[in-house]
Amino acid sequence: MLQLERIKEGNKDILRLIGEVDASNSVLLDQSMQEILQQGATFLLIDGSQLGYISSAGLGVFMSYLDDFSEQGIGFAIFGLNEQVSEVFKILGLDRLIQIVPDKSTAITLGNEP
Amino acid sequence: MIKNSSLPLGRISLFLAILVWLALLLVDLVRIFGMINNLDSGITKEVTWILEILFFIFVYLVYRRIFWKNRQSDFLTLIWRGVSTGLFAASAGLLTELVYLALGESKIGTDPFLRNVFYHINFALTSAFLIFTTLLWKHLILYQKNKQVVNQWQVFELSILGALFFVFFNHNNFDYSFLFGLTILLIISILLAVNLKWIPYLNFKEKWKTLLFLFLIMGCAGVLFYRVLDSGNEGDLQINLTDNLFLMALFGFVFAYGLFSFLVTLFNLPTSSVFEQKLTEAINFQKLSQSIQPEESEEQVLDILLDSCISASFSDAAWIELNPKEPFQVKNPLRFLDESTKTAVLSLLPQETQTWVPASLSEAQPPQAIRITHPNYRSALLVYLLVNKSILARIVLIKEVKEGFNKEMISIIGTFARQACISVENHRLLNQAIENERYQEELKIAQRVQKALLPLKLDHPASFDICAYSNTADEVGGDYYDTYQVDETHFVLIMGDVSGKGTSAAFHMAQMKGVFQSLIQLGIHPAEFMNKANAALSKCLERNHFITASIFEIDIVNQRFCHARAGHIPTLWYKATEKAAEFISIEGLGLGILRNPTYKNHVQEKTFEYSSGDILVLLTDGILEGRKETGEQFGYDRIKKIVEEHHQTSPIQLQQEIIDSLHQFVGGDGMIDDDYSLLVVKFK
Repeated sequence: MLQLERIKEGNKDILRLIGEVDASNSVLLDQSMQEILQQGATFLLIDGSQLGYISSAGLGVFMSYLDDFSEQGIGFAIFGLNEQVSEVFKILGLDRLIQIVPDKSTAITLGNEP
Repeated sequence: MIKNSSLPLGRISLFLAILVWLALLLVDLVRIFGMINNLDSGITKEVTWILEILFFIFVYLVYRRIFWKNRQSDFLTLIWRGVSTGLFAASAGLLTELVYLALGESKIGTDPFLRNVFYHINFALTSAFLIFTTLLWKHLILYQKNKQVVNQWQVFELSILGALFFVFFNHNNFDYSFLFGLTILLIISILLAVNLKWIPYLNFKEKWKTLLFLFLIMGCAGVLFYRVLDSGNEGDLQINLTDNLFLMALFGFVFAYGLFSFLVTLFNLPTSSVFEQKLTEAINFQKLSQSIQPEESEEQVLDILLDSCISASFSDAAWIELNPKEPFQVKNPLRFLDESTKTAVLSLLPQETQTWVPASLSEAQPPQAIRITHPNYRSALLVYLLVNKSILARIVLIKEVKEGFNKEMISIIGTFARQACISVENHRLLNQAIENERYQEELKIAQRVQKALLPLKLDHPASFDICAYSNTADEVGGDYYDTYQVDETHFVLIMGDVSGKGTSAAFHMAQMKGVFQSLIQLGIHPAEFMNKANAALSKCLERNHFITASIFEIDIVNQRFCHARAGHIPTLWYKATEKAAEFISIEGLGLGILRNPTYKNHVQEKTFEYSSGDILVLLTDGILEGRKETGEQFGYDRIKKIVEEHHQTSPIQLQQEIIDSLHQFVGGDGMIDDDYSLLVVKFK
């Protein structure tokens, strides 16, 4: 089960993932991200504080946008991951390519410093 | 009921009937002789009565047998037999009359013996006709039987049986008891005569024939009755066989039922077309529901439907239009009109019907009657056929009269249309089931092919033992492992896992095997191997897919291995010297994530020295992420503990232990929603 919530805070779009991302619903995540980008987001934050599990298919979705983010200069970060999910990102090595920060307050300030 | 026995019961009865009749004739002649000559012949009238009753019974048995044999014949054939028997009996009677008219007052003409012979012949024929017709009426009355009718009939039969023996009580006198008995039997006959349910099953032509036949039967009965009355008045006939309650009651019954049938058939004539129409509709409906055979096409169903609709509504013309999206065509879509007329009529239909999908049509709706103003046609009926909520086709029926489609027609056509749609839908479901079956077969083949991609035998030297296990979440999966002997002293272990699962993962797994097998030949070291594998796989993986892999290059002489990890689950290493296991920690990014040369900055290799008794357990994330119902994952620590506890067992036992523990952990309600694989190496 996956629920997606969109919030806009300042110049940042926040996509909150509630539940689990697996092969069957990773398409939903992909659609939401696509939508946000098409609406001209400049900084996308993923709120993973209520994310219980993410499968490799879910990781594949984030991965597939990495090139787009760097080409279009869009900021991207994930925050609030629990230990287990965070470990999954680390093992794959995605933590080297994606900014993963502990909490929302840190995430909000990203990219604001001169 | 007479059972189908080997005895020719019919013939025996016929023979006995003739025999009894001859005996009756002889006895009566002797009696007359005695009466004329005032001699006591010694034969009482009771003998005559007994023979008469026996004769009736045998004739009844003969005809019952005949009816049993012909019970499947249609009404008209049976009625015609009654007519022919009647005509024969009546003409025999008339002929006798003529002969006596010709003979006049001559000696032969007044001879009582000859007169009696003729009388007996006429008696026999009349009885035969009456009994046959009674059985015929029985067949018709009980055509649609229910308990009440059967009971009524049994009462009648019992009364008739009583009438048969009435003669012993009444001594052939025409008295009040006779009249009383006759009245009762006539009342029962009339009550029975209302059972005329066979008549509606006749079509118009058959009804006309039936009227003629019934008329003839009643005519014959009339003639015969008249002759019976006539002969009863002749004083010189000492023997009277026909003033008998049984025969009189049969006359009454035959005439009453004949008259009722005649009148009802006559009054049914004007409405018979309606009954025929209903019967045709029932047959059409049956045809529509039967044409679900898989070898039959949807086109045939629609063809039958169009015909059925035309006949049910007496339409003057009609056509069927298929949804242009449908892949098939109806061979003969126009009935009783040409293309130009169709176009003309179509343009007269309401605006919303000009396009294919009317806005208001989401659910099945009843056929729609429309007034049109065409030079030839005045009314139209529009029928949509919905299959799976999309329009399959539409039928337009047109008539030359205004408001030509009544409520009943619309309702029956609606029913036809629904049945046809069900037929088509069933047909499609069946085809879909067959198609699915085929896909299942294809998947089985894919499964077999993919299994063959994993090695049957793992190359390894005597200095270590190895075993491997792999299972897929779906029919096919994305896990891969292999071993490769570089030279006498160097062996490579590799394990890979494609992101996702199922068919797409399986195809990528095949590509991964190709890439790995090629790169292994180059004899390059682990980090370079991953770098090159990343470059190769980046070109063939879909953008949202990646692969994780682990590689070990084992040097058995120097007892060390060089290892690199590309985003894969860390390998568990049990160190015999420390009696403890740990996951080898080394940096490395998954393959296909970073699709440019900078990847080499994200992968490391490291060499470790091992000692005898050490164990390596390579895994895929399917094992770690095996989950209980509560959501708890199998995780790293459990595996570590199992390996530490079972380090002394052989690799195959250790592997089995891990798999068993995993299954026990997830339990019946948990799940392993991913492919999972395991490779266990134990150094000697």
